[in-house]
Amino acid sequence: MKEIHELDLPDDVRYAEDHEWVRSEGSKLVVGISDYAQDQLGDIVFVELPEVGAKLSKGEAFGTVESVKAVSELYMPVGGTIAAINGKLEESPELVNNQPYGQGWMVEVQPGDPKEIDALMTQQAYLEMLKGL
Amino acid sequence: MNDAVKMTRLHQWHVQQGANMARFGQYDMPLWYRAGAKNEHLAVITASGLFDTSHMSSIMVRGADARRLLQRCFSKDLHRCIGRQQEPLMAGRSVYGVFLAEKGDVIDDAIVFQIDDAAYLVVVNAGMGPEISAHLRSHSNSGGADISDLTDALGKLDLQGPASAKILGRVLADPASVLTELPYFSFTGHFDPASPLSDSVKLVDGTPILLSRTGYTGEFGFEIFVEPEQFTQVWERILAAGQDHGLLPCGLAARDSLRAGAVLPLSHQDIGPWPFIRNPWEFALPYTVDRSGFTKQFVGADALLSQKDSPYTYPFAGSDLRKVTAQDPASVFYSSGDAIGTVLTCATDMAIGRSDGNIFSIASPDKPAGFQPRGLCCGFVRVDRPLQPGTTVRLKDNRRSIEVEIVTDIRPARTARMALAQFLT
Repeated sequence: MKEIHELDLPDDVRYAEDHEWVRSEGSKLVVGISDYAQDQLGDIVFVELPEVGAKLSKGEAFGTVESVKAVSELYMPVGGTIAAINGKLEESPELVNNQPYGQGWMVEVQPGDPKEIDALMTQQAYLEMLKGL
Repeated sequence: MNDAVKMTRLHQWHVQQGANMARFGQYDMPLWYRAGAKNEHLAVITASGLFDTSHMSSIMVRGADARRLLQRCFSKDLHRCIGRQQEPLMAGRSVYGVFLAEKGDVIDDAIVFQIDDAAYLVVVNAGMGPEISAHLRSHSNSGGADISDLTDALGKLDLQGPASAKILGRVLADPASVLTELPYFSFTGHFDPASPLSDSVKLVDGTPILLSRTGYTGEFGFEIFVEPEQFTQVWERILAAGQDHGLLPCGLAARDSLRAGAVLPLSHQDIGPWPFIRNPWEFALPYTVDRSGFTKQFVGADALLSQKDSPYTYPFAGSDLRKVTAQDPASVFYSSGDAIGTVLTCATDMAIGRSDGNIFSIASPDKPAGFQPRGLCCGFVRVDRPLQPGTTVRLKDNRRSIEVEIVTDIRPARTARMALAQFLT
């Protein structure tokens, strides 16, 4: 298990309480799970993602991430339409473990309300939350 | 039961190595180390893995009444349990079975090791030392057996996988004399330096060990019992000796997925407070040849023989690696749509996959060319009706629904029973 100081928590993304991250890229938002989440889950062996075009509200489940330990729900950190999914995860789910903020991204969202991301935690706020866990 | 978290002697080592820790029974135990559960599982199939299993309880039963007491409480017939000839349990041999309550329910499963004519080591699950000790005492004639609970007073580590014999050879003082026949479910040596048996197996530094050809992964390997004071250095010595053999320290996640694929039950999950019959583990019962009764009388026998409407427990294997969460809970549905039972264990054996419907392991000699399995979900279901192997049932938890096949065996090409000599060449 990584110690808090070993966690990779970039400051160019925002974090949700369920450990998803969101990065602004143009008009779209890219979503994945944090280094803390992948470390807790252990070896990720399967990722289930939604159909492109699916409209999902904030807090709704958009898929599952399955590790050796457990199957966990993925929740929309913001509402919107699924604009793209990371097809590489079908063959290489371990990308989520190895590069949670890079090649291990999960979905791209066309947000319903672009301001919704502002309600998510900054790196500092997320770090504080993790310290309290 | 005491609610305080307990730790094995290696707890600090586990944490320092970056293991993901979790509560198992009363103990804070490693789920996996930095290599991850998948690599640890695969290491046991292709190389070797080392498990800290000293959270398990051991009980020493000594005295003139010891054998009679175990014959009365343990499910195996100690007079007829070794090999095809059904020979009696003897010194240097061990046997797997269960302890039942009068109504036929499982208190715990165990391996009984016969140390000598009047001493038996009974190895049960974590936290079960006090309960099994009390159970034995309640059936003991006054003073005939001395029952001492060695919980937290005995170190145990499991070295499992095809490279285990070669690795062990590097740490034994006299490997040529120890790594001889040693069949499956036999043992040699003693952890107690005061025992004359301890002379037969020593490590290079003189530490005596009890070395047993057992384990709970379905693969070739050893269980090693050692005095707790020596435990950490024995662990580190074996790990160092196995480094260039691909040995990995392994956590409970790999242990769980390996044992599920090997069709071995987890006590209190796959066997528990319901009658111990109609399951894949009836070999632990002393049936007569015609299965009309038992070859001995023991606690729980009458209840088992009079059972009429007990549930059936079967192994299953999925079509891919996706699993359901047994704790959700997950239910079993028959093709008619009827709910017929519950999922006891659902894990992913990472070393197996299907090709044309058949299950192969990465260790299968006849695996298809280029076979690179991603794993199969597998485990046990308990249902209200008999099912034939090959029957498809549906498992549903709160999240997903998967089709699985009722099977008689799961991971092929397991090595547990193979002769030791094959692993030394």
